This record gives sequence, C-alpha cells and structure tokens, in this order.
Amino acid sequence: MIEIRDLTKVYKLNKKQMKESRTTNPRKTAVDHLSLTARPGEIYGLLGPNGAGKTTTLRCISTIIRPTQGEIYVSGHEVQKEPEKVREKIGFLTGDIKLDPQFSVDYMFEFFGRLHQIPEEKLRARKEELFTYFGIKDFAHKKMKELSTGMGQKAAIAVCLAHDPDIIIFDEPTNGLDVITARSVTDYLKKLRTEGKLVIISTHIMSEAEKICDRIGIVIGGHKVMEGRLDEILQETGSEDLEDAFFELYRQTQGEE
Amino acid sequence: MSGIRQICGKELARVFYDKKMLFSVFVLPVVIMIAVMSLVNTLGRKQEEDVESHRAVLCLENAPDGFEELLKSSGISYTIKPFSDEGEVQTMLLEGEADLWIAFPEAFAQMVQEYRQGDAVPQIKTYYNPSEDYSREAYNTISTGFLELYRQRLLAERVDDMAGLTVFTVNSDNPEMMIQDDAKAGGKLMGMMLPYFVTILLFAGAMGIGTDMVAGEKERGTMASLLVSPIPRSAIVLGKVFALMIISGISSVIYVAAMVVFMPQMLGGSSEELGISLVLSPSQIGMLAALLVAIAFLYSAIIVLVSVFAKTVKEAGSYITPVYMLVLVLGITTMFTNGTPKEWYYIIPIYNTSLALQGILTQEVTGGQFILTLGVTLVLGAAMVIGIAKAFESEKVMAI
Repeated sequence: MIEIRDLTKVYKLNKKQMKESRTTNPRKTAVDHLSLTARPGEIYGLLGPNGAGKTTTLRCISTIIRPTQGEIYVSGHEVQKEPEKVREKIGFLTGDIKLDPQFSVDYMFEFFGRLHQIPEEKLRARKEELFTYFGIKDFAHKKMKELSTGMGQKAAIAVCLAHDPDIIIFDEPTNGLDVITARSVTDYLKKLRTEGKLVIISTHIMSEAEKICDRIGIVIGGHKVMEGRLDEILQETGSEDLEDAFFELYRQTQGEE
Repeated sequence: MSGIRQICGKELARVFYDKKMLFSVFVLPVVIMIAVMSLVNTLGRKQEEDVESHRAVLCLENAPDGFEELLKSSGISYTIKPFSDEGEVQTMLLEGEADLWIAFPEAFAQMVQEYRQGDAVPQIKTYYNPSEDYSREAYNTISTGFLELYRQRLLAERVDDMAGLTVFTVNSDNPEMMIQDDAKAGGKLMGMMLPYFVTILLFAGAMGIGTDMVAGEKERGTMASLLVSPIPRSAIVLGKVFALMIISGISSVIYVAAMVVFMPQMLGGSSEELGISLVLSPSQIGMLAALLVAIAFLYSAIIVLVSVFAKTVKEAGSYITPVYMLVLVLGITTMFTNGTPKEWYYIIPIYNTSLALQGILTQEVTGGQFILTLGVTLVLGAAMVIGIAKAFESEKVMAI
C-alpha cells in the first residue's frame, strides 16, 4: 500500500531557473499538500498536465527526492526513515531513467536482480518469464545502445520488474512507444493488477487513464483536485468523458486562481 | 557488502568486457609511451652520432709547421678550408660552411721558441658558432681538448721536468674513488622517479574512467536506476571507488612493468648501465604496496568526489584538470627537495606519500613517518568517501 500524507515538495530555484520560469520567487512549489492512498490490486493513475507535480510525487515515493513536508508510507515503511526498505518493495520506471548503453539486456537484468539479492534460480525463472512476455529473448544478448526505442523500453520494464516488486511505479509508461508496444505494456500492467500488485502511474493521456486505471487522482498545479473511479469523477463533474471532466476541473482551478 | 561487490563488478566489466576500452586504457598508453621514448632516444642518438661522425671544417690562419701533422695523428677527423680573409671566414662560420677558425699569431713558432721571461705570451684565438651543432662540437674537441694537448707538448719541449710543473694530480689513478651503498644509490634515483610516475600513472590513469563512472552515469541518465535500487548510497560510492582503484592500480602495474622491460629500448642502455638497478627487501615491498594501495584509494576518492559535482563528463574534465595540476605539483616536489624532511611534512597529504615512497627506497623513512603517512592518506580518503556518499544523497548535486 502507498499512503501519502500531506506531501509538499518545494524546489529552490537558482537565478538561471528563475529567469527561465520568469519569476522572482526563488521557491517553486511543485506539490502542495497532496494526500492519497493506493491499495494492492489496483492501478492508480495520477492524471494532470505537464508540470502538475505528477513526476515529483512519484519520485518522492521512490525515494529519489525528499519531501519538503509530509510523509509517505510504502508497505508500511516511511520513505525518509527507511529508504532502502522502500526501494526493496518497488519497481520504478520513467523515460528519464536509462540503462547502461554498453551492457546487454541480459547483463543488466542479472545485475539489477543481484542488487536486489534475488537467488540465481529465481532470477533465471523471472528472466525466462519476462523476456518471453515482452519478446526480448531474441535481442537479450544485444547491447542497450543497439536497441530501438521500443525494444529499449521493453528491456527497461523487464529489468525494473526483475525482483518481482509488490509495488510498480511507472512515470508515463507508454510515452514514446508505438501502439503495439504501448498495448503490450498496458496489458502487462493489467496482468500485474490481477496478480494483486499495486501499480501507480502518471499520465497526461486521457484515454490511457480511462482504460486502465481503477482510480484516478487529478492533479493540477501541485494540488489533487479530485480523486475517484472514472464513473465517480464523471458524475461529480457532470461530464461525459474524462477529457471533459478534466477541462471542467481545470477551468474551475484557473478561475479560482 | 554484496552491493559494493556488484557495483564494483559492473564498473570493472565496463572496462574489461569492452575490447576498445581495454585497448585504450591498458595497451595504448604503454605503446605510446614506449614509442615516444624510443623515438626521442633514437633521434637524439642519431643526431649525436651524426655530430660525432662529422668531419670538422677548419680554417687555419698562420698555422705553425707540424700543427696539422699533430692534428692528423690525434685521430680527429677534419678537412681544411684555405684561409682567405677574416670577413669571408666569419661569413662561412655564420652560414655553417666552416666549423672552427683557429688564428695563430704571425711567427707563432718563433715566439714560442724564443720566449724569455717577461715576454708577451702568444695567444691562439679560436672562433666558432655556438648555434651550430658541428661548430660547437669542433670547438669542444679541438679548442678545449686538442689545443691543451698541443700546449702540453710545446711545454714539454721547453722544460726538462714536466712532473715538477704538475705539482699534483687529482684521481689520475684511483678507480675506487666512489664509495656508496649500491642499493641505496639505486633507491635514490628510483626514489626520485617513483613519486613522479605514481602521480602520473595512478592519477592520470584513473581520471578518464573515474569521471565517466559518475558524471558519465549522470549524463547518460543511468545513475537514477542505481539510486532506486535497495543498496545504501555508500555502497554505490565504495563500489565505484574500489573499481577505480583496481583499474588505476592494474594500469600502473602494467606501465611500470612495461617501463622496466622496455627500458633498454627507451633509454638506449640496460638498467645496470643506467644505474637504476634496485634490490628491494620484503619489508620494503610490503611498505611500498601499502602506500600505493592507500594513495590509489585517495586519488580514486578525489576523482569521484570532483566528478559528483559535474553534470557532464566534459564538465568533470574541466574540474579535474586543476586538481590534477595540484596533485602533480605535490607529487613531484620531492624530486627537487634535498636534505632531511621535517616531521610535519608527513601530515601534508600526497606530498607525504611522495616523501615516504622516496624514504622507503633510500631506507631513510622511520616507522612513525610511514604510519603517519599511511594514516593521513587513508583517513582523508575515507573522509572523501563519506563526502561523496553525502553528495549522492543530495538531489541537487545528483541533478535528478
């Protein structure tokens, strides 16, 4: 389970960043008092425009960055107090995180498996299962730099799942993928859900959120403006689809500001 | 521990599984070093041989009878250009067509023969062009060498007892004049060279790979994947520092071995001839090994620490250059310092290692100085590793 209590993340901007953001305020609040709970056996989607704070939230959960305020519990472990325990439980993947280009998919899979201290036999079985599912077997011996974007993303997903984590955190899981690869990724996320895993993703693609997410948290300007199942969101906003609902909420937020 | 081993193993695999990398880290520098040294030596020797085999072109003005015969019998190879006038000879010297102009005063032989006490002593003037190699060589062998013999010969004709004029000689028959401990003498020369090579090889060898290990990982976006794995940041840091130590250690062992093996080719003589033969006792080897491991650890930590603050390999390269220069200065200062080093010198990092390395080879280092050096180096290295681990915790430094 992931439990976020009152998460706030403030970045300090340097002069160059202030100039780029056209602001005189040296502090930028990326996430503002955000709370949510995601449970095993569900796909939770953080939906929002670019810069809404989705990625920052996921990075705080995965211990890459520290919350300025608030607490995050992952399977009962607090991210700042027990970061290594948290990292044992999660598989984190984003387009920004890449695998060493000069190593083969095989090597990277085994390397990360061993970092997670997975017994050799289990690691071999996981490799067989994941490589077969993602169709990686044929190019497993190839170096990462020799793979196409889609193949690379598939390999990265397989590597990040090597240790069979209970919680899978995907930042924009289908970003930059062709339709076929994107479909195999979303299908796999559904498979993980049926296995009882907790999957939390961030996305700005409405159709993706509609199709795969059990619950959706809509984030605008660092705030969680609404949360619920698709039908609940549509009902509450009086909209016909998620895109309309999102724009309704966006309009309201902008109006408030 | 497992995390450290895995990270270290991956960094070593990056070098050892890549043939290009293997070649560029371990083979190419050795090949370049041997080739450059051999080339410099061969060219230098060729030039020397060319100068030595050159027939000196001489202009003799008012040469007395018998001078040329004596010159010929001395074995000096030369040709004579007829003397015309001063201006023309000067031009020939300037243009390198003549090497030496020997001007005797008129009636030189008569002046020498009829010399009486109080007469002016005749003067032979020699002119040469020091910017021409052939001319300089002719001046050295003839003007300062042969003319002295000629003077002695004329003097022998004038006085009956040459020995009475000599008064004393210095070491004319004393082959045992040098009393020294050969091991210590060999150690002295090696002690001068070793800190220099250790600095160059250990630090420079680790620089490129070290910056790539940290700044390169940040630049490629592969660092974050390590940061989300369940191992402590300190394990990542130590894994990388140890891998760098191993790589720079292996490369410097290869360089030193290649230098010893190819020394005759590079310097044109065997190590015995060059006076660098060295016999080390087991305790000396042990002390050297301990110091080299410690300094490799410190250098690796310095390189990783500097690289942590860079976003790209290029940036890391520009940060590391001034550090390298500082290390270089501290490392080679011992080459130019004489006398007994003061005790407190042994707390200056890097410099103390150079001093101790030199001291071990010349058998002059004390146990206390050795322990102090080793301690300072290891403590500073460990402090840096802690600093790097702290930097790894900082999201700003890691730029993630």
